[in-house]
Amino acid sequence: MSSIKKFEKPLGMRDTFPLTYEKIERVRQTGRKFFRSRGFDFLETPTLEYYDTVGKASAISDASLFKLVDSQGNTLVLRPDMTTPITRVATSKLLKEKIPLRLAYSANVFRAQKMEGGRPAEFGQMGIEIIGDKSVFADAEVIIAAIHLMKEFGIESFKLTIGHAGVLHDILDDYTDSKDQKEKLRNLLVERNYVGFEEAVEQFDLPVTKSNALLQFINEATNSASIEAMEKYVRKNDGLEYMKQLSKIIEDSDLSEYVSFDFTLSSHMNYYTGMLFEIFAYGSGFPVGSGGRYDGLLHLFGCDVGATGFSIRTNRLLEVLPEYEEQEETVCIIFDEDGFSKALAVATDLRQQGARVTIQSRSGLINEEAFTKLFSRVVYVSQEEGQ
Amino acid sequence: MNSELTIAMPKGRIFEEAYQMLIDAGFNLPEEVEMSRKLMIEFPEENIRFILAKPMDVPVYVEHGVADIGIAGKDVLLEQQRNVHELLDLKISKCYIASAGLPNTSMNEIAPRIATKYPNIAMSYYKEIGEQVEIIELNGSIELAPMIGLADRIVDIVSTGRTLKENGLVEYEHITDVSSRLIANPVSYRMKSERIQEIVSRLKKIVK
Repeated sequence: MSSIKKFEKPLGMRDTFPLTYEKIERVRQTGRKFFRSRGFDFLETPTLEYYDTVGKASAISDASLFKLVDSQGNTLVLRPDMTTPITRVATSKLLKEKIPLRLAYSANVFRAQKMEGGRPAEFGQMGIEIIGDKSVFADAEVIIAAIHLMKEFGIESFKLTIGHAGVLHDILDDYTDSKDQKEKLRNLLVERNYVGFEEAVEQFDLPVTKSNALLQFINEATNSASIEAMEKYVRKNDGLEYMKQLSKIIEDSDLSEYVSFDFTLSSHMNYYTGMLFEIFAYGSGFPVGSGGRYDGLLHLFGCDVGATGFSIRTNRLLEVLPEYEEQEETVCIIFDEDGFSKALAVATDLRQQGARVTIQSRSGLINEEAFTKLFSRVVYVSQEEGQ
Repeated sequence: MNSELTIAMPKGRIFEEAYQMLIDAGFNLPEEVEMSRKLMIEFPEENIRFILAKPMDVPVYVEHGVADIGIAGKDVLLEQQRNVHELLDLKISKCYIASAGLPNTSMNEIAPRIATKYPNIAMSYYKEIGEQVEIIELNGSIELAPMIGLADRIVDIVSTGRTLKENGLVEYEHITDVSSRLIANPVSYRMKSERIQEIVSRLKKIVK
């Protein structure tokens, strides 16, 4: 280990400089206004949680958690996601006051450091949760909100890919002979390793009808098949019926162009039980957001009311946001020693007109030219005259 | 959507084979590409752009999304475990990963040492078979390691087995088969799905 240099931050941590800060703030404000107008209530939860509750229930792998120990010897984690803490609050308290709940958040979450760049260990997440509503309309509300939010940000080219954990579960269940086989195939789909999926199917020594069905399924499902095309693979139809209803609602809302269905979509988050989706946009190599129905997580907290939601990663959102020029006047008032009270008066005046005004004494400046260059307008004040 | 598609191609031996496959699949590409020292080649007729990368780096470009798709060896994919979609086995540049060592030797019982270019693959293989080993990472001429006593075994790519033989080593365990794969960035896979699916289906037809 080389020694730590003075300028260094812990691996994966980033400073937010003023320009970026303003961008993030704009995103937060837009999101806040947007979610509030749809009846979602914002809340905040602590940065630190117990490992035994939130840490274990969270779908983030153990190796990605920041862990520390409190003075009583309990293991704590820096919250790795927001859905789990919100589920904790909702199941233990808020659901008693209102059901269904519509909650929103914008907060930083933490995932253990990675050596490679482009993967911050702390990043902002913004999202919503609808807790206590099992109907298809709650899922539709989440998806529609996600689409409208992307539009609200001015992002033109984006897509939601929707799958269904239950349908995939049934298909894998029906066409394999053991739990191990099923788990293996599911994991290969989480990795999106279609080649591996086909290889595994061939290795399993399944009856020809089963292996052919699986191979045909993976082929068809990855080729943007319709929901109807999936019918031949499932025996119980309720999952697909659900997706049809969902698709119909999205169609009726005139948003079909933004969504596609992929029934191989699978997440490492195994608490997703129903529909799940990912949000993709031009400009970032990684999905900007994801969501889904996570009744399974509520189950872990001893509650059986159903929940659905989505979140967006603000750092990735910044990569895909259209350029936005802030039209803002920045004024610098430079005053001589005897001109301070005059400078104050001028500043108050300009601030009332909506400008951002800095007042700076000339005697305090080391390099006047370099400093004043950073403003859109400079005003000099001495006692005798104004400008 | 007809936006430009960026393909990360591995430089060197695999390039020729992969390039020929694209031509065979009916892509309008010149028979000969003048490679020289270029790192990027544009093919406006097909709206395709190649970036030429070291084989080990192809998944990096694809994962970060600066290349939409790429051609990478399974060895590299296994070693790096990157978040890319593995779409198609092109069945070119076939070889395998194996362990090898001096003939009639067994591994050191206390701390068996393995020299390799593939620390992750080697580590997970020996873990799987219940053997705790120490890994020594080398970048080339791996065969040297057992010869001069740096390691008990090596884990490396074998295609014909000639290099092993010439250095007096024998193969012990076959670890996994390797061939080149078509990989895609998860976002490109969705945003440019039509173009990528078309490439997949055209290549699929000519995979032997």
